[in-house]
Amino acid sequence: MTGRIAFIALLACARPSSAQTGAVEVVQSAGMSNELIGGVGVQVRGLFQPAGRFRIYLEAAWGDRSSAGSDVFGTAYPYGGKVDAIENYGELTVQTSGLRFLKAGRYRTPFGLANASDHAYVGFLRPPLIRYGGYFALSSGYLEEGADLVAGVPHLSAEFSLGRSADVGSARRRPGALNKVGRIEGSLGPIIVGASVLRTMPDQPAYFAFGRATFRGVDARWMQAGVQIRGEWIDAVPFEGTTTKGGYLDAIVHTRVMGPVTALARAEKLDYDTPVAAYRLFTHRYVAATRIRIWRGLSTSLGVSHQGGRLTQHRPTAFDAGVSWALRKDFASGQ
Amino acid sequence: MPARFTPPVRYAVACLACATVASSFSAGAAAPGDLQGVVHVAGRTAKEVVIWLEAPAAPPSPGRVTATLDQRNMQFVPRVLAVRVGTQVRMPNSDRLLHNVFSFHDGKVFDLGLYPVGTSRVVRFDKPGLSRIYCNIHPSMGAYVVSVDSPYFAISDTQGQFAIPSVPDGTYTYHAWRAGAEPASGTLVAAAGRAVEIELP
Repeated sequence: MTGRIAFIALLACARPSSAQTGAVEVVQSAGMSNELIGGVGVQVRGLFQPAGRFRIYLEAAWGDRSSAGSDVFGTAYPYGGKVDAIENYGELTVQTSGLRFLKAGRYRTPFGLANASDHAYVGFLRPPLIRYGGYFALSSGYLEEGADLVAGVPHLSAEFSLGRSADVGSARRRPGALNKVGRIEGSLGPIIVGASVLRTMPDQPAYFAFGRATFRGVDARWMQAGVQIRGEWIDAVPFEGTTTKGGYLDAIVHTRVMGPVTALARAEKLDYDTPVAAYRLFTHRYVAATRIRIWRGLSTSLGVSHQGGRLTQHRPTAFDAGVSWALRKDFASGQ
Repeated sequence: MPARFTPPVRYAVACLACATVASSFSAGAAAPGDLQGVVHVAGRTAKEVVIWLEAPAAPPSPGRVTATLDQRNMQFVPRVLAVRVGTQVRMPNSDRLLHNVFSFHDGKVFDLGLYPVGTSRVVRFDKPGLSRIYCNIHPSMGAYVVSVDSPYFAISDTQGQFAIPSVPDGTYTYHAWRAGAEPASGTLVAAAGRAVEIELP
């Protein structure tokens, strides 16, 4: 309700524009792993700009997989076999007075590298360990329903979100006090760095997880000449008496000589510590993957990951393959 | 109507165009007006076709000329941009995501690296030709910048119509470019109040 009220208030503030623009995008994906798990998914996204500085983002997804016994395909979309509303928000852009963006509705928890394009299905098949809900860390399915404000200048900005949980997927935070997310982001030459804090309810049941969850994290990105280096590190208390620490470092390479091929190398670790020794989780994973653009919106992804420690992945080394087809239609009227 | 010329004839036409343009600029015999027209490809109107006229005697651009290739909603806007040689093209990130704009193929070669929302980079297109523009993070993003050595150019709209401003009356060699097709050339006559039609194969 909080998000809907804020969304309507934003809509009332927006001034109509003589030119309306927008785009609709449909992405269909299918994949399988040698862990004998197959998955399919469809995402539909709509971007509409009915007024000069106001835009609406709508997104829904359907996905299903043959088993939930692995984190393969566990990227930015749920695989519950039903249609889920994902991000649905309105955003007002104000580029004066230090206030830059005001967003209301349902949106991804703005913690770290959280955009759908960072971890979505199109691309590489496994999310980072710290972005998979089953490992006492963050979940790519965390959504806030509320309001989000970004203020500052382009090279240094602060973001604050207040809302309630509207999660999708298997990791759903319990209802309780409003979630608070704070983030600062700055750029130093070609490097973009950020720090985030999230205070929320745990996504485990109340009989198991006491108190509240607090996540703190830092992230950084750099890119030049087709080489992108990015990473995140979190230091979290998923619930009272436990800690989760971990992060990942990605090198994503797409240079001129590689043509339609993009390559990824990832090193990551995740340590979940709890007084109950049997539940402790200390693990690491190395991933090599590639995305090959075949023709227009058609691409294929191949990945191999090797891990140590105790995870839901059945085998120490797993091979994943997927194919995605993206269609996009842009439109404009009233120019 | 497509027009193909042998090199000597093309040279003669170009000379005629030069002479016409030069006389127009020097004497001011004809008041420049907008050259309006429509582009057809295989009989149907065509959008995003870049049309430019040869005008080697045209004066240089007065001062610094700028244009904008925006990044918005994970698209370049516009998808096709035509500029005169020497134009500085601003490439702001008006999106809510990071982008890495680059061009590795023909034309202007550059890589702007990662830059945050609300900031901009500038690229000067200092020679004529086609530059293909991409984002290294979002492979679905693509745009074309056509840099032409002429002040007389335009891009056809969704109805295939175009208007080239301030064209002195005369006969010109035109060039036409559209994505996925070979460039085409021909001649046209610019005259006040007269619209031209360009037919491409």
